[in-house]
Parts: sequence; structure tokens; C-alpha cells
Amino acid sequence: MKHKKAKKYGMVIDLDKCTGCGSCMVACMAENNVPFRKDESDKLLSITWMRIYKLTNGKPFPNTDICYLPRPCMHCEGQHEGHSPCVTVCPAIATDYSSETGIVSQIYTRCFGCRYCMASCPYHARYFNWWDPVWPDGMEKYLSPNVSPRMRGVVEKCSFCFHRYQMAKEKAFMEGRRKVEEDEYQTACTQACPAGAITFGDLNNPNHTVYRMVKPDPKHHGRPTNPNAFRLLERLGTNPKVYYLSSREWIRRAGDNYLKSESIAKKPAHHE
Amino acid sequence: MDSALIPKGVKRCPLWQFILLICVVGAVLLWGVYAMLLCWFKGLNQTNMNDAYGFALWIWADLAVIAVGGGAFFTGLLRYIFGKDELKNIINYAVLIGFICYSSALLILAIDIGQPLRGWFIFWHANVHSMLTEVAFCLSCYFGVLTIEYIPLILENRQIDRVPFFHHLGHNMHEMMAVFAATGAFLSFFHQGSLGGVAGVLFGRPFAFREGILIWPWTFFLFTWSAAACGPCFTILITKITETVTRKKLVKDSAIELLAKISGWMLLTYSIAKTADTWYWATVTAPSMGQTLMDFYSNNPLYGIWILILEIVICGFVPAAILITKKGRKNSLALWIAITLATIGVCINRWVMVLQVMAVPVLTFESWFMYFPSWQEIATTILPVAYGVILIAISYRYLPVFPNEPELNPIETLPAEEEEAVEPSVELEQELKPAEA
Amino acid sequence: MKIDRRSFLSFLIGGAAGTTLSPLTWKLMDDSAIWTQMWPWTPVPADGEASYVNSACSLCSGGCGITVRKIDDRAVKIEGMKGHPVNNGGLCILGLSGLQLLYGPTRVRTPLKRVGQRGQGRWEKISWKDAISEVAETLGDLREKGHSHTVGFISGSDRGTVPRLFDRFLTVYGSPNLMRTSSIIDSYELTLHLMQGAQALPGFDFENADFILSFGSGILDGWGSPVRMFRANSTWCNTGGKVIQIEPRLSNTAAKSDKWIPVNPGTEAALALGIAHVIIKESLYHAEFINYYSEGFDDWKRFVLGEYGPDSVATITGIDSTTIIALARSFARASKPLAICGRGQGTTPGSLNECTAVHALNALVGNINKKGGIFAVAEPDYINWPEVEMDVRAAAGMQKDRLDGAGSKKYPFSRYLLNRLPQAINSGEKYPLKALFVAGANPLYTMSDSKAVKKAFDKVPFVVSFSSYMDETAQNADLILPNHTYLERYEDIPTPAGMPRPVIGLSRPVVEPQFNTKHTGDVIILLAKAMGGNIADAFAWNSYDECLKETLGYKWRVMVEKGFWSYPDFFVQTHEESFDTVSGKFEFAPKETGSLKQFKPVNIEGDKTNYPLLLIPYDSIRLANGVVGDPPFVMKSVEDTVLKGTDVFIELNPKTAGEHGLREGQLAMLSTPVGKARVKVHLFDGIMPGLVALPRGLGHTAFDDYLAGKGINFNELIGPVEDSVSGLDAAWGIRVKLAKA
Ligand SMILES: Nc1nc2c(c(=O)[nH]1)N[C@H]1C(S)=C(S)[C@@H](COP(=O)(O)OP(=O)(O)OC[C@H]3O[C@@H](n4cnc5c(=O)[nH]c(N)nc54)[C@H](O)[C@@H]3O)O[C@H]1N2
Ligand SMILES: Nc1nc2c(c(=O)[nH]1)N[C@H]1C(S)=C(S)[C@@H](COP(=O)(O)OP(=O)(O)OC[C@H]3O[C@@H](n4cnc5c(=O)[nH]c(N)nc54)[C@H](O)[C@@H]3O)O[C@H]1N2
Ligand code: SF4
Ligand code: SF4
Ligand code: SF4
Ligand code: SF4
Ligand code: SF4
Repeated sequence: MKHKKAKKYGMVIDLDKCTGCGSCMVACMAENNVPFRKDESDKLLSITWMRIYKLTNGKPFPNTDICYLPRPCMHCEGQHEGHSPCVTVCPAIATDYSSETGIVSQIYTRCFGCRYCMASCPYHARYFNWWDPVWPDGMEKYLSPNVSPRMRGVVEKCSFCFHRYQMAKEKAFMEGRRKVEEDEYQTACTQACPAGAITFGDLNNPNHTVYRMVKPDPKHHGRPTNPNAFRLLERLGTNPKVYYLSSREWIRRAGDNYLKSESIAKKPAHHE
Repeated sequence: MDSALIPKGVKRCPLWQFILLICVVGAVLLWGVYAMLLCWFKGLNQTNMNDAYGFALWIWADLAVIAVGGGAFFTGLLRYIFGKDELKNIINYAVLIGFICYSSALLILAIDIGQPLRGWFIFWHANVHSMLTEVAFCLSCYFGVLTIEYIPLILENRQIDRVPFFHHLGHNMHEMMAVFAATGAFLSFFHQGSLGGVAGVLFGRPFAFREGILIWPWTFFLFTWSAAACGPCFTILITKITETVTRKKLVKDSAIELLAKISGWMLLTYSIAKTADTWYWATVTAPSMGQTLMDFYSNNPLYGIWILILEIVICGFVPAAILITKKGRKNSLALWIAITLATIGVCINRWVMVLQVMAVPVLTFESWFMYFPSWQEIATTILPVAYGVILIAISYRYLPVFPNEPELNPIETLPAEEEEAVEPSVELEQELKPAEA
Repeated sequence: MKIDRRSFLSFLIGGAAGTTLSPLTWKLMDDSAIWTQMWPWTPVPADGEASYVNSACSLCSGGCGITVRKIDDRAVKIEGMKGHPVNNGGLCILGLSGLQLLYGPTRVRTPLKRVGQRGQGRWEKISWKDAISEVAETLGDLREKGHSHTVGFISGSDRGTVPRLFDRFLTVYGSPNLMRTSSIIDSYELTLHLMQGAQALPGFDFENADFILSFGSGILDGWGSPVRMFRANSTWCNTGGKVIQIEPRLSNTAAKSDKWIPVNPGTEAALALGIAHVIIKESLYHAEFINYYSEGFDDWKRFVLGEYGPDSVATITGIDSTTIIALARSFARASKPLAICGRGQGTTPGSLNECTAVHALNALVGNINKKGGIFAVAEPDYINWPEVEMDVRAAAGMQKDRLDGAGSKKYPFSRYLLNRLPQAINSGEKYPLKALFVAGANPLYTMSDSKAVKKAFDKVPFVVSFSSYMDETAQNADLILPNHTYLERYEDIPTPAGMPRPVIGLSRPVVEPQFNTKHTGDVIILLAKAMGGNIADAFAWNSYDECLKETLGYKWRVMVEKGFWSYPDFFVQTHEESFDTVSGKFEFAPKETGSLKQFKPVNIEGDKTNYPLLLIPYDSIRLANGVVGDPPFVMKSVEDTVLKGTDVFIELNPKTAGEHGLREGQLAMLSTPVGKARVKVHLFDGIMPGLVALPRGLGHTAFDDYLAGKGINFNELIGPVEDSVSGLDAAWGIRVKLAKA
């Protein structure tokens, strides 16, 4: 019998198309019952599973350029499957790597809030619930039953809208299918992006758009072979499953640290 | 009034003075307890920690007290395993300091986690791959060992010792102490190491990440090494402070000097190893991740290269040089400087490996993160210090912590009213014998 | 029993050991952990049956289709409607946050009547019956006295059944004073009227254009129908379409454009004419269009060739002449070029000359009413109600001049001049306004020179707000008659801004009305009925829903099913039949705009010596600055270089900052001739030296704690500048001085 190949869900964000509009950010908050507070201007205390960074090329007027970079959780694979920076360090297995989907989960009721995972994540993709989540009277009506609201004292992060995968799988099962089609499981941010800058799918499936967009190299932990594609901090060996596309060299270079003497083309990876 | 509790052959300050001290320090303690309760009931929003500083002052304090508490395991190791008999004169105090440090560390951890009531998940749902799991297990076990090592000392209190059960219990525990010392040394080796591993395994953080052997990054060994080197210095430092405060000589110079000498050599070798580690990291590890040494020490208001020089040279090689030379050890001022610098050095190291790790940006489009602790964090960090002072004060007053004390501070005439019938009479001799931990 | 010390200690230790080993400890530990996992104060959303409702978003004029996910009777998520002609699944940040408005604390839950001072926030609840009879009485009194024309109505829109009910009511009641909130649409309508003789809205065929010359239009900052613009931009990414963005600040649009050309602010019209100069001089224009379908080209040509050579335009605009020439050539040579204007989100009309100059570029390349070009889109005439019968009083009232001067001798072509209203009220030059109704608008926040607007409102003795939310205007009203939100009501959503083909969206109740609110359409009908006579006769419907259903006729069923109606039979007019001017052709120099020699740039307020710098606003899609403010989610997306705590940041070029001795994050005092504000400095290389930019959308005093009291409202710092031809607000900025605070 043919062995069923595991899925490896991933995301490609086209930075040429991304306008920094913030829809992905808010779609995520609305989808995932993310709480909010009266003052959210301290970004180090503000829970945004999807955060949009504004990059500048640092050149003076009028040669200035800016670029927006949306950053969900990278669902890092690490050097071998499941060796994500955060998953390996969690002492209570409150965050885990799914070998079925490649998704890094977060189990709020297991997490006891040591924040080691946050220290380990170079992307600052993890957020701590410093406060009890409070919705103004009546607003809790819009909370979705598909995602449990988190209590104070635990860490949360982008789940690749895992509940949508579960629902899609359930639906397929009810209809007597085993396969979840590409369009059946799409994340909330992908769906909402007005610019169509986000693409989501199975990086192990050559028929999926994400695969065709980046052409991941299986010999190098999925490193993209499309010259315009890159991953954030590729050299750390975190092997993210979120890829970025940009036609601009300075943006691709901003995706990683390079010594002055290095050219971006070389891309030496640390762990090889 | 409490003279019945005070060990034979030593003199203690009047009770009112003692109570006054306890009250003053107790006030500080209560301030810390108040802050602690705030953190527990209102949550960690009481701190200035944030999503960039998931680890902050507390974790530093935790690592620092464990490092300086390393005097207990290392002195125990030298005393019981390597048979450095001379150290029996300081081992009690080393154990007491270690006990304070480790209980403080556990308390800080209990405040630090977001869900204290679920803290035990670390044991129940343990992830064997996590350095923190290793820390939690070894830390708790070693705390148990320290408790066992501390109990016989408590049992030697004049009144408790009169109860035959406790007398025998204490006696039996003494007999087994070598086993516990060995266990403690083993556990200590691992948890000091795994604390180093906590930072060293962070392969997403080039500032912290180190290569190593198998699952252990070099920081694993460096942490153990530095704790072994600087822990005893801290023990000596606290002893010296205690001597200054009580205006008494409490430990024989020979014991101090022996410990100082061993520490000196440990510190020297540690500093060399740390230099080699830094060198390799700066020239191989970090560049392979696209970063240079100076990336970690520039473009921010605090962390300059001075911190590296301070840590390795001024608080590493300099005290090591003092301690390994006989002249240095024998010169009181030089000894004071050396043990102080060594203690500061290990604390800086822990600071850097916790706080600077959080401060250095990794994504190219982020900048340095700066942080200043809230009063609640400061209060809860001072809390263990106050608790330590109180425990030392009580132990010193009522327990024969320093076996050399009666010998070094002979009392001319024993006041008549202190004479009490003591039975069984064999005890008398034992009282004057050095307590063994 | 006597307990000796020994047994006491044994008991203690034994007890401790016993407790540790007993299952009770472990059970309690486990229970306490479980308790933390189910804290009763952390909500557990109830599960239920999932369903989806298709509707339309009307939080802006974008007209996006939405699909709302429901669990039982709760709306839990708003998503973009797949297959919708405007947004096809995508949604903007505001639209995505709609449920926070629906269920949020800013809702007005029941009709409210003011007690205490205006704006004090003291209200008493009042029944709908009493509220409507109070309004009917006041209006009846005024009408009795022959003052029906002193009733004004400010509406966010004049299209669709609800605004048409306002219009109908005012007409049969006898007031000419219906005013629409102004925007670039006013200038475009006027331009299309003057140059093409059309009574129409501008429609842009962006999807088929391949070279967009944008004079500061925030294509990606919320201009037009925002989601459609984002989609169009991605289309250009795929097809290789080019965008040239002309504006002094590196906006998101500029950053995403193929070329950003910084221009001295306010000189865009000159640049357009400079480009025209090159096109004409090099004969790159569309000869067929010019020769057969245009009028006045020679006059205009003479004017442009005479005064707008690349070198003089370079001096005016700060753009070097080679760039201007290259720009003109690539625009003219593109296969489907399109020039657009309307700064930022287009919330101010701007100068008419600028709009006509930009529109003339489209004519030069002949892309009017054709694929990839600009269309004059006539409003679909699905609203065909019987004529109203006006009595004497109504007829007399309607004869009166409008208070805002629109349609007067001075400004004969403008339909609405809301910007002139505060001044008209404050000066008392014509007649006082005795009652004012506000629906779908928040003038106390959105109109410039807030102080003057507030003063004018204070002079109106009876202000009624129809707002669903406690906004600035509602806060200062005498009576609030809260409308259902767009998620609780039926309403037709007419063609979104800038669409080249008409589409009518249908907003429909996603959930039951959450509070004691009433559809404003129903309120108007009830009010008319309460007033009786001709007025009642003009509103024969039993309810608004009946009115809408009847109005839409056969379209209703399709709209309920699909969520929108598009016009499959919409046909493109040929150039022969496009122009309804006197000449029947495109007018390059319509005489009505005055002689060409009067063409001059807009003088903004402030003198150079006292106010050495220029303050301009900037728009961001993450800052709603229209009828609603940012809901909490959207506030969350605002960057910390825009707002920190309650301090707003100005953008300043490092060079300018250096000259003023200002550093990043420092506090500074901004003063303009109109107002003062304390701000923080953010250094940004992407802004032209000498300029200060401040975001629109902050500084609310109303709504909830998540929004109010943060930053400052740009409108407090700027006043309107009347365009000499249209009377519309042409201000693009104001002079300003900056000092350390
Ligand atoms: N108030 C109340 N409490 C209850 C119950 C009740 O009825 N009412 N029922 C009880 C019962 S029967 C049960 S089974 C428990 C359920 O209790 P939990 O197991 O805590 O239930 P969930 O919140 O559904 O799931 C926990 C989290 O797992 C994460 N997750 C989802 N998929 C994956 C995955 O593939 N891998 C990993 N690692 N994580 C994933 C999600 O983020 C999800 O939020 O609740 C018990 N508690
Ligand atoms: N959407 C959503 N659906 C879920 C889950 C989820 O997280 N989300 N969780 C799933 C999981 S993990 C579980 S376990 C199931 C639970 O699903 P159910 O098994 O349906 O659990 P309950 O809702 O607790 O319903 C149990 C019923 O048993 C009754 N009952 C209580 N005690 C007794 C008794 O002694 N005898 C008898 N005869 N009846 C008794 C209760 O009154 C109640 O009506 O739900 C599953 N379905
Ligand atoms: S929604 Fe799309 S365009 Fe908007 S910020 Fe996110 S990725 Fe970029
Ligand atoms: S991005 Fe951070 S949180 Fe996400 S998998 Fe990687 S390390 Fe973990
Ligand atoms: S904070 Fe929670 S998820 Fe993160 S490491 Fe600690 S227990 Fe694991
Ligand atoms: S994938 Fe889902 S959880 Fe992750 S950022 Fe997007 S919407 Fe949020
Ligand atoms: S663009 Fe306008 S209509 Fe569309 S979703 Fe946003 S607010 Fe609603």
C-alpha cells in the first residue's frame, strides 16, 4: 500500500503585493478571539498573531523606500522535523509540532506561562497574556466557539487557523472523502487579504500554489529555489514554513543577517 | 530570655537587638511578600516584562542566586568526595547559604510563571528535550538534598537535640552525608549546566547560542564551572560579611584560604575557557549566522563591549590572579576585592545570558529592546535577600553554624544563669565539636 | 490527655508527612490547575448551528460584499463575499471589525433626549413615539411660521433609497437645505458636468488600465472603493501595469508604485499642465479624439504651451524637467493610460482647476468612456417614485436660496457646499438654521476648523442625530434617533465610489436589532405620517422595507439571493454620444470655469514668516476618518510610530527635524493659524523637507475609551479654503510652525 505522505502546510507572502493594509492582522484577531485593551500602542504588550512590520531601506529623501512585512508564526520545522526553536524548549509540551500537518500548536490549558518559548523564538511570534482577556459588555457575543479564548498567564500565537483544518477534515470525513482539498483549508488572513498577497497550502504537494511559487528544495529543508523567494533568518536553521517573495534586493537582504562582505546569493546556512 | 536556645560556648547579642534586626529586615520582607501577592493575584502585568522580555530580572536573579549558591555543592564535593577536611569549618555555612539561594530560586520561579497553580505540569507533562525540564527536576531534587543537609544542623539546636529521636536522627543523617553530598554534586552539576543550556540551546538567538557536545552547548559546562568557581567566593564573601557584622572571627583562616585557593584556580581555568568560548563564538558561530561580535555590543544605550571586558577580565582573570597567589589570599583587602569581583563577575555573566539575550535584536528590522524592572519585580527580587538575612540571623543565633566560633572567640566567664542541667552528659563534648553537615 | 513536646512534634511531622502522601494534596493540586483552565471570568463562547448571511458593508463608500458567519443568532465573523464584483472575498480592516461596532459599547441603545448642557453627555431615555412626535411638533411649528427652509439635513450620501427619502421629505416639507458630506466626488461630478455635460459619477476602469498617473490619490490608502483598489493594484503586479505616484510624502501608495515622484505640495495642477504641454508639443496626443470629439482645444493649447513649459513647471513643482518630459511621454505612449486625482482617501474635494487639468490629460490621450479609461457613470434609475405634491408652504420654502450657497450666482454649478455651512451660520448673513438633522455623517469630527463647526452647531437650536453610535455629532445633539447598524437593516448600497459599471449592493439584517433602534427610513416615514397632509401623502409606504422592496421590484429577489445587482445591460457610450455639452463635444476650456488666465494655485492659510513649514494630512487605511472611527481591532493595528499612549506623531524629515533641534520621539508644539496641538516627532526619510505630516482619524472625543482621547484631530488645525470656481473646500494643507514643547 502506498504510504500517505504527510502534509506540510505553509504560507507564501508576496511582498510586492502586500500593501500593509492590516486586513490579515484584523482577520486573524476576529477569527481567533484575540483580546484587546484600551491602550494597544505598546507593541511589546499587544497580542497580534499576525504582525505587520514596516521596513525601510534607510536611504534619505527622496531615495527612501518602505516595505511591509506581515509576520505570522513561521511554523518552524527546525533541523529535523519538530525541532522548532520553541517546541524543543517548552518544558511541559504545551506547544507541539504536528508531523501530520507541520503545524506548531499551542495548548493553552497545558501552558503554565514560563515564557521560555518566547525567549527561543527569534521572530517574536509568541505573545503572553499579561492580562485577563476582557471584552466590553455585550461584545463577547461575537466570540467564535471554534477557538477557545485564552486565560491570563499563558502564551499564544498564530495556529495557521488550525480549527479550520479540523473543520475541513471533519467535512471531508462526513462526505466520505479522505483528502482535504487546497481550497477547503485556507487561513483567515489568506482569505481576507484584499491584495491576494497571501497564499496558503501544502508545501509537500506539487499541485498546490505555494509549492509552485517557491519550489522548496527538499534536500535543504525546503529552502526556496525561486530566486525572489526567501525565508526570515534562513541562516539560523529554523526552517520556517512561511516564505516571502520580493523583487527588491534590499528587502530580500533585510530578511536575514549578513556580514558586510557577504552577498545575499551565498546564503550559507549555519547548520550545514 | 532565649539563652536556652543559644548554642553553648558562644555569645550572642541581646534579644531586643536581634528582634529589632528581624523587624527591620522583616519589613523589607513583607514589602516583597506584598509585591509577590500582587503578582499572584493580579498577574504578571504587575511587572515591566513584555513580549520581548519574557525573561527578565527574576530569571537573572534566579540564575544568579543559583550560581552563587554553587558554593554549597562545590564545598560539599571538596569536603566529602575529595576529602578536603579543612573545609568542615565552613561547610555548614556553605550549606545554609546554598539552602537560602535554592529556596529563593524556587520561590522566584513560582512568582515568575504565568500560571503558578499549574507549575507542576513541568513534572507531570515533562518534555525531556527541554533544558528547563532538566533544571526543574535537578533544582527540586537538589533543593531536597540541601534540605537534608541543613536539617542535621537544625537538629543540633540545644533544645531539639535533647529529644533523643532527633538526636539520633541527626546523628544518622551525619553518617550518610557523603552520599547526599555526592548526589548533590551530581545534581548540581546538571542543573547548573542546564541553566547554562537554557540560553545556549537557543539557536534562534545568535547571541546566546553555542555549539557543544551532544545535547549540551558549551554554556552548559561554563555555567557549572563558573558556579563552582564563584559559588565558594560568595560563601567566603558572606562569611566575611557575617564576621564583619558580628565583629567576630568565625572561620579559621586555613579553611578560607584553602577554599579561596581552589576557587582561584577554578576561576582562572574558567576564565580561560570562557575566553576560548567567546573567541570561537565571535569568530565562527556568530559570523555563520551573519553577525559580528560588535553587532551584539553596539547601537544601544547600555550594552557596550565594556561588559565583556568587565565580565572576563576584571571579574575573571583579576580575581583569579589574586586568589591563586598566596600573598593575595593572605592580604585581607585583596581577598575582599577578589571574592567581591568574582561574585559580581558570575552575576554579570548570568545577567548577560538572560537580559542581553532578550535585548539583542535578531530580525534585521527590529532594534534593541530596553527594559527597566517595575517596583514589584525589584521588591520580589529583594524579598529573598531579606529572607536570607533573617534565616542566617536565626541560624547563627540558635544553631552551631560555625564550629570554630567557640574556639576562636573564647568566653571568659559563663554567666551562672545560663547553666542548665544538660542530659545526657555526653552531649557536652559534642557541643564543642565542630558540627558536621 | 497531656501532650508533651515530643508527641506534639511527632504529631506535627507525622501530620506533614501524612498530608503530603495523602491523595488529598494531589487532588487539590489537580483541582486548582483545572480551575485555572476554566476561570469563570474567561468567557466560553457557546456553540451552536453555523450559518452564513450575504450582505453588504456600508462603513465606507466602498460597497464591499460581505458574508457573515453566524452561530445560532450570534454573528461571529465578517468575511468578504466570494465572487462579489467589488471585493471578491477580500475585505478591508474596518469591514473586518464590523462586529465590534455591532456589539460594541459605542452603540446608542435607545432614543435619547438631552438633559443638561449640550455635549455634557446627560441623556434621558425616550420612547420612539414621543421622540417622533417631538420632532414632528418642532418641524410643524417651523412650517407654520413659514420657516420651513430653516431646516437643514446633512447626509453622508445622496444616493440610494434612504437619502432619497430625506430629499423627498425636505422637498415636500419645504427646505432646499439638504447637504451631502463633501469629497473628491464633488469635484469630479463638477468636472464631468462642465467638460462633458454629464450628470454622473466618475468610474475608473482600473482593472484594464496599464499606466496609472496618480496625482496624490491614495490608491492603497483608502481612495475610492478601497478593497477594489487593493485588488486592482495586485492586478497591475501580475499584468505589468505601471503606477506613478505624485505626492510629497512616501505614502503606502507611493511605496508600492513603480515610481514615486515627490512634488511640492499644492502644485499638482501645474504638473498636469506641464505634462499636457509636453504631450501637445510632441504631438503625442490622441489626434482623433481631439479633432472630432473635443472643443476649445486650441485655446487651451495656447494657454498650456504659453505658460507651462517643463522648465517653469520644474520650478513650480520641484520636479526636474527631464522627469516631467519622460513622464509625459510614457503616459501618452502607454496603451491604456489613466490619470486620477483626489489626495489621500479623497475626503476633500480639492481645487476644481486641478481636477479639470488632470481630467484633460485623460482627454488628451482619448481614454474617456472606453476600456481602461474613465467613465461618466450615470446613476441607475431604479428609484422611480411618484412625484410629490407640494403645497404652498413647501413651494415657498423650496424657492429660498440654499444656506450653503450651492447653486447660487457665485457657485452656480455646485450641488452641495457643506464646507460653507458653518460660516453661513456663524455670520448670520442669510437666515438662521433652526433645526438640523444629521444622518450617515459626523460633521463635528470630519469638517475642518472644528471650533467654527462647533460654534455653528451651537447656534442651531434643534439638532437631531440618526447615528447608531455615540459619535461627536450625536454627543452634541438634542435628540438621538438611533438607526439600526448596517448589520441589522435592509438598505440598498448604490454603486461604490469609482466603479465603472453600476452595482447595487443589498445590505440586510444579519442579526436581529440588538437594541431599541429604528431604521432611519422608517423614522422618516413615521415622521411624515405624523405631520399629515401632503407630507404624509408623499410617504404612502407602511414601512421602509416595503418601500425598498417595491422600489427594487424584480431586482429584489435576485439581490436577496446574490447579495447584489449588477447591470448586465450597461453599455459603453461611443464618443459621439458621450458628451452632453453645448458643443456636444468634450470641452477643454469650459467657459464656466472662468477665463483660463485666472488659473492660479490655491492659497493656503498662513504666512511664511510666522509659519515657515507646511502641514499636510495623511490618510491610512488603518485609521478610519469618516463617519465611524477605528474599532478596537483597527486601533490595535495602528503603529507605534503613529500613536503612542495618547500622543500622536508627526512625520518630519530628519533634515527639518535637525533644523528645529528635534529628535525622534521628542514632544513638539504645532501651531497653525487655526489651532495648536502637542505632538511627538517621528523622523521619516520619506517626507519632503519642510513638510510636517499628521494622520487623519485620531483625536476623537466621542466613541469609546478604545478610541477617544488619543492623538489629535487634524481638522482642529486646518480651516476650509474656498475654491474660487466651485466654492468647494480646496485646502490641501496649512502653514505651520513647530517648536519644542
Ligand atoms: N467548561 C467545560 N470544561 C470542560 C468540558 C466541558 O464540557 N465544559 N469538557 C471536558 C472535556 S470532555 C474535554 S475532552 C476537555 C477538552 O479540553 P482541551 O483539550 O483543553 O480542549 P480544547 O480547548 O478544545 O483544546 C485545547 C487546544 O488544543 C489546541 N490544538 C488543537 N489542535 C491541536 C493539535 O493538533 N495539536 C496540539 N498540540 N494542539 C492542538 C488548540 O489550540 C486548542 O485550543 O475539556 C474538559 N473541560
Ligand atoms: N464543538 C465542539 N464539540 C465537541 C467538543 C468540542 O470541544 N467542541 N468536544 C467533544 C468532546 S472532547 C466530548 S467528550 C464531547 C462531549 O459530548 P457529550 O458526551 O454530549 O457531553 P455533555 O455535553 O457533557 O453531555 C452529557 C449528557 O449526559 C448527561 N449526564 C450527566 N451525568 C449523567 C449520568 O450519570 N447518566 C446519564 N445517563 N447522563 C448523564 C448530561 O446531563 C448531558 O446531557 O463533545 C465533543 N464535541
Ligand atoms: S492583508 Fe494582505 S496586503 Fe494587507 S497587510 Fe496583510 S498581507 Fe499585506
Ligand atoms: S516562529 Fe517562533 S513560535 Fe513559530 S514555530 Fe518558529 S520559533 Fe516557534
Ligand atoms: S510558556 Fe507555555 S508554551 Fe511556552 S515554554 Fe512555557 S509552558 Fe511551554
Ligand atoms: S494563519 Fe490564521 S492564526 Fe495565523 S496569522 Fe493567519 S489568520 Fe492568524
Ligand atoms: S472598503 Fe469600505 S465597504 Fe469595503 S469592507 Fe472596507 S469599509 Fe466596508
